[in-house]
Amino acid sequence: MIQYLYIHIPFCARKCIYCDFFSIPYDEGLALGYITTVVQELDLRKEAAGELKTVYIGGGTPTTVPTLSLIRLIKKIKDSFALSPDVEITIEANPGTIDQKKARALSDAGVNRFSVGVQSFNDYELKLLGRIHSFEDVIKTIAAVRYADVGNVSIDLMYGIPGQTMDGWRHNVEMAVELSPEHISAYELTPEKGTPLYEAMSRGELEKPPEEVILEMYYHAIDRFGESGYRHYEISNFGKPGFECRHNLNYWNRGQYIGLGAGAHSFIGDRRMRNTDDVKRYIEIVKTDSLAIDESVEISCEEAIRESILLGLRRTEGLNIRGCREDLGIDLEPAARELIAKRLLESSGGYLRLTREGIVVSNTVITELFQKLTL
Amino acid sequence: MPKNIRNFSIIAHIDHGKSTLADRLLEYTGALSSREMMEQVLDSMDLERERGITIKAHAVRLNYAAEDGQEYVLNLIDTPGHVDFSYEVSRSLASCEGALLIVDATQGVEAQTVANTYLAMEHNLEIIPVINKIDLPASEPERVKEQIEDIVGIESSDAILASAKEGIGTREILEAIVRKIPPPGGDAANPLKALLFDSWFDNYQGVIVLVRVFDGTVSSGMKIRIMSSGKDFDVSQVGIFTPKMQPVEELSAGEVGYIIGGIKSVSDTKIGDTITDAHRPAAEPCPGYKEIKPMVFSGLYPTETHQYEGLKDALEKLRLNDSSFSHEPETSTALGFGFRCGFLGLLHMEIIKERLEREFGLSLISTAPTVIYRVTDAKGNVIFVDNPTTLPAGFLMIEEPFVKVTIFVPQSYIGSILDLCQEKRGTQKEFAYVGKDRLMVVYEIPLNEILWDFYDRLKSLSKGYASMDYEFVGYIESDLIRLDILLNGEPVDALSLIVHRDKAYYKGRQIAEKLREVIPRQLYEVVIQAAIGSKIIARESVKALRKDVLAKCYGGDITRKRKLLEKQKEGKRRMKQVGRIEVPQEAFLSVLKVK
Repeated sequence: MIQYLYIHIPFCARKCIYCDFFSIPYDEGLALGYITTVVQELDLRKEAAGELKTVYIGGGTPTTVPTLSLIRLIKKIKDSFALSPDVEITIEANPGTIDQKKARALSDAGVNRFSVGVQSFNDYELKLLGRIHSFEDVIKTIAAVRYADVGNVSIDLMYGIPGQTMDGWRHNVEMAVELSPEHISAYELTPEKGTPLYEAMSRGELEKPPEEVILEMYYHAIDRFGESGYRHYEISNFGKPGFECRHNLNYWNRGQYIGLGAGAHSFIGDRRMRNTDDVKRYIEIVKTDSLAIDESVEISCEEAIRESILLGLRRTEGLNIRGCREDLGIDLEPAARELIAKRLLESSGGYLRLTREGIVVSNTVITELFQKLTL
Repeated sequence: MPKNIRNFSIIAHIDHGKSTLADRLLEYTGALSSREMMEQVLDSMDLERERGITIKAHAVRLNYAAEDGQEYVLNLIDTPGHVDFSYEVSRSLASCEGALLIVDATQGVEAQTVANTYLAMEHNLEIIPVINKIDLPASEPERVKEQIEDIVGIESSDAILASAKEGIGTREILEAIVRKIPPPGGDAANPLKALLFDSWFDNYQGVIVLVRVFDGTVSSGMKIRIMSSGKDFDVSQVGIFTPKMQPVEELSAGEVGYIIGGIKSVSDTKIGDTITDAHRPAAEPCPGYKEIKPMVFSGLYPTETHQYEGLKDALEKLRLNDSSFSHEPETSTALGFGFRCGFLGLLHMEIIKERLEREFGLSLISTAPTVIYRVTDAKGNVIFVDNPTTLPAGFLMIEEPFVKVTIFVPQSYIGSILDLCQEKRGTQKEFAYVGKDRLMVVYEIPLNEILWDFYDRLKSLSKGYASMDYEFVGYIESDLIRLDILLNGEPVDALSLIVHRDKAYYKGRQIAEKLREVIPRQLYEVVIQAAIGSKIIARESVKALRKDVLAKCYGGDITRKRKLLEKQKEGKRRMKQVGRIEVPQEAFLSVLKVK
């Protein structure tokens, strides 16, 4: 039985220049109809679920949706599924879309983890990224969430922003440490094809900082967050002990999950599925009590092994060598020998993991491992 | 009845319409109805069809009721249309008494027209000029007639005007074959003497040989002898192509057909050999037999070492069908175990490589093709070197093969063509106007220089208007040295090449730059150097890959990221590990892609 539930809310006040997620401008009528439809889809999927360990409401910007609708959705989840006593219920909240009242209402409804899309503490960078909020909004939002007695707050930060300097990044890192959230995700800005950022970079209008600087930024985050009491538990994620995101850990453990909403992905049995990302079509189809799946692919045995490796190595804990042998039938040690000799991988305590040098070239390491295992 | 037999070939420059005309003749004589006829039936291999080049010769018997009221048997002997196979062409022509010379009415005489016509004249063939494509608005039959007379010296006032595509002139051509080409001579009572002009391996029947019988008869049950080797075989079947295979009682003097006789390998049936009766052998073989030797050599290596056995099997299987290429095991420090393969020419090399990859599913790396050098070593011994790495250090003299290249080109492009020949170390031998605005130039050029891009550049410099042909002239001494390429200080033998001293510096720099472009960034810096002996003449480097990581990977990203990494892995799979450096296949050919 599946114990992890994801709900996608595809609405945003405005699209950021780097965003390649599916999202559309907020429209109240559509949003209300959408939530009703998600509730309907939930009924279609609930049989596959057992007692839920995590619920994650992501987007888009879920907090653009009126509070009452969100509460109705959370209530429906609580009524439909058994929840584990220590269930983790996360909502993504962007600064400028949530105040103390809304935070309190969501918290009362059962949300116990807020993931705040801060990205930067620098107004110039925020503007360049196309965010709707300012530094002041960030501080107000975090305060609002704290006042609502939310004990588990995560923030997202971005490095490698055009124009960003090492000093600028250090400042952002210090601000984050100062605010002391329970969890920090730090990502390198990635220009994905088709985004305005990508176009602007192709035209030469924007340029990311040099590779050496970006590497220094990444290592600085690892070191500074590390000494401030955060555990670097995944390539881009840091948490105070006990505050690792359990929902996301399930992805990296290659666990199953149910995804509801337009554009949401599910992993059920041995199939990975994707719902249509066309909101109107999604609503039309689900209204007829059918699933709105656009793509459903069976994962072969070999693909499953490759997934386990590429996901498992994202965790700093690494891959359990015995587990891989017993569950996947692969012998990691001989395959990894050369990479260990090159100090890109290390093996200790029965786990194989990326080293500090290996983590920044993890794609190369993983593909070499695939090759050695003739996968 | 030999007097009602006519044996002929069609000779033409590429694309002048040879295959289409062959189709028309088959159709007109009812050998195949247009409904059953696939286009260009004579070119049966896939590769031939795709490239539009006839590689293997075939022979088809046509029955024709002529205007004189008599029935004639016309044997159309097809010839390969590429200079790599000129020996095969000559053997096909030796099997005929006449030839149709096809010239495109819009293009006029081209280099291969001349080369093939001379070849036909050497065999004393009756040549019937046919001006094709007269249906095209740009056709200039009168001008082309003049060219045929001026350039190749053939009376062409009564050249047949035809359009193979439209079926114009087909009957006139057939009539001309009957009237102008002499019937074959020979005597069926003499001992058997048959010229072997093609052979191939068939999975069910073993080797099938195509012959032109000059004397005597051959029939099933006979014991035949291959004259060059003295090997005997029992004939199990003789027959003709209509173009379908059709067994007959016997083939006798003047006739063309096939023989099957439990022959296991085409290496026993070399083109140009003579087949005779083992019990009553002919006194003399047919003239002109020679063992053809490969001209161009290249190392072929499996990308993945475990495919070595597969490559070996594949080469052996291909050789069953094509005795004109050779393969010897070879070891490279960079590439591991592979084979040094010899080919008739570049096209032949490409065909073999493509067949190995396509038909046998192999992934191959080929080293830069090279010619055979004649080297006099320090002790005065003459050795032949087909691999740059085996060039001895101190030698007295090195000679390289030269070819005579004949080029036809419109006057307006002559400047750039002369520059090209100059750049390729050519020496001008002839320079003559043909007609008002076209030129024929003849150069002697090292074969090595025209191996790679010469033809392509000739075509692009002349907007496609220039044509060329070449023939081997002999070995000439040259100032050649070995250029080595080093990756991170280690010489990579598979990248070495023999170059002229004057070009070594320029080439070394160009190759290093090219390699910098094609070698992907790796975890370590890759230093590329070009060296002559111990002297480094060029240096480039590929910066180390420092960052290659996916920032995030959540539920919706997993499939996409997996595919991305799988693609990255596939890219790696096609690379060759040289020391600890990964070198892509194209790097081994990049040494050629510099001027």
